Amino acid sequence: MNLLELNGVSKVYGSIYALRNIDLAVERGEWLAIMGPSGSGKTTMMNIVGGMDKPSSGTVILDGVDISKESAKNLTAIRRDKIGLIFQQFHLINYLSALENVMVAQYYHSLPDEKEALEALERVGLQDRAKHLPSQLSGGEQQRVCIARALINYPALILADEPTGNLDETNEGIVMDIFKQLHRDGSTIIVVTHDPEVAEEAQRTVVLEHGKVARIVAANGEAAAYYEK
Amino acid sequence: MFTALLAVAIGATVLSGLVTVYYDIPRQMMREFRSYGANLILAPSGGAASLPAGEAERALRYFPAESVVGAAPYRYKAAKINEQPFMLAGTDPAQARKTSPYWFVNGEWPQARGDALIGQNVADTIRLAPGGEFTLTGLNSEGEGFSRDFRVSGIVQTGGTEEAFIFVSLADFDGLIGETGEFDLVECSISASADELQGFAEQIAEDVPGVTPRLVRRVTQSEVTVLAKLQSLVYLVTVIVLLLTMICVATTMMAVVAERRQEIGLKKALGAANRSVAAEFLGEGMFLGGLGGVLGSALGFAFAQTVSVNVFHRPIAFQPLFIPATLAVSVVITALASLIPVRSATDVDPAVVLRGE
Repeated sequence: MNLLELNGVSKVYGSIYALRNIDLAVERGEWLAIMGPSGSGKTTMMNIVGGMDKPSSGTVILDGVDISKESAKNLTAIRRDKIGLIFQQFHLINYLSALENVMVAQYYHSLPDEKEALEALERVGLQDRAKHLPSQLSGGEQQRVCIARALINYPALILADEPTGNLDETNEGIVMDIFKQLHRDGSTIIVVTHDPEVAEEAQRTVVLEHGKVARIVAANGEAAAYYEK
Repeated sequence: MFTALLAVAIGATVLSGLVTVYYDIPRQMMREFRSYGANLILAPSGGAASLPAGEAERALRYFPAESVVGAAPYRYKAAKINEQPFMLAGTDPAQARKTSPYWFVNGEWPQARGDALIGQNVADTIRLAPGGEFTLTGLNSEGEGFSRDFRVSGIVQTGGTEEAFIFVSLADFDGLIGETGEFDLVECSISASADELQGFAEQIAEDVPGVTPRLVRRVTQSEVTVLAKLQSLVYLVTVIVLLLTMICVATTMMAVVAERRQEIGLKKALGAANRSVAAEFLGEGMFLGGLGGVLGSALGFAFAQTVSVNVFHRPIAFQPLFIPATLAVSVVITALASLIPVRSATDVDPAVVLRGE
């Protein structure tokens, strides 16, 4: 059963097509990678799938709801309830501790629960760093706090934008291990990446070029024309 | 944020200070205005030539004791020096000094029996100087002639008709003219607003039949005009300061919103509703307003005290009600000033968090 479906999605800025007639389906529990050169439409696609922008045409069905026509207010609720965001620059609030950064997501979702937030940090191996400020954490640790924050409200879809883009090899390995564990636990993950090694971990890789799906590659490296509509 | 706090604190200080001064100006200025001279005259009623001393004292009891700066009774009679006619005035020199503080006296006010304060015209005509002596002649109330020597204790300049008068103590006057127990008029200097004075005058006119109180319009009207102008000026300055505070707070909050654009975007991406973002910034603004208001209340009183001591040479009265009022105005002003920045915060696109846009 599909968690996400993009049907004929296009996004036009003036006369320029950022996305052109994209069709894509993502199953529940699937790990999908999106690759492509700069300007290929990855960010636009992320924004639309993440409920931060609306397509010019086409429909986006997330968990059975067409989010392409929703109001800004409803999109906010959808982001809060359905989506866990992970960023390349981590985007932690610098005056809050690791624990408080996780609890921020709880605060906007329901009620802050320190015990639950600590458990989320434990899942990413940072229970001992809960009281540290972001400036006292390494890049890898900051990204793990960001992942804990994305997981805290049990989102239907985890959307990660270049999650290892700012990390060294060791921390990249740690973060990828967490993603693998999330995948084993049944999470649906979409990762936007430039890194073929990161994409290789996904079940499928969608390659975007000039706003269009150029090809879809399965984990075994074979072209998966089967998924193309 | 510190800049915004500073702006609110300064705004609240000026607001609280000026409003305190504004509130206290009439009280302060009423005292200042007493240097203009008498502002109320007690005159005889109807066609009577004089008013009984007892009735004058009764009328004076209508004023609160602390507001009576001075009350000088006067008796007048024509007299001559070297056959030159002048007006002789008998008064209480100590009280006359209080009701006419603007008189310029070269020498001394009459201190003892036989002392006279003469007007500049009299001194010029007779060629008298302080310390000099002259003989006063005339007719008493019985029509009998009198002649008595006086010493010039001082020469008075007023710029008015008083410069043609000879002032002696009431005791000397009564000794020459005869004691009648009546005055021609009583000049009063009362520390009260024009409206209060009018109220007292009406009450006296109604209750004390022998006395007709008359406001000295020249003085009371000047007081009203000056007070109105001063209060308008303070009001205008207060409004301008409040506007400047609002502009400063709004600008600083706009800068804060711009600085925290990423954070706002992140919160919105995490699911913060516009209502939450607005409440957060409005809350911060109002907290800032409250804190600035507390600082401003304390500093404002110090400011008002400094102004009062330096301008009016008197301490100002503390008004406890101004503390909550300053706090409330500071919070409201900051909240209003935060509206545009709050709108700007809610307009932040959550997508700014992606790709570090």
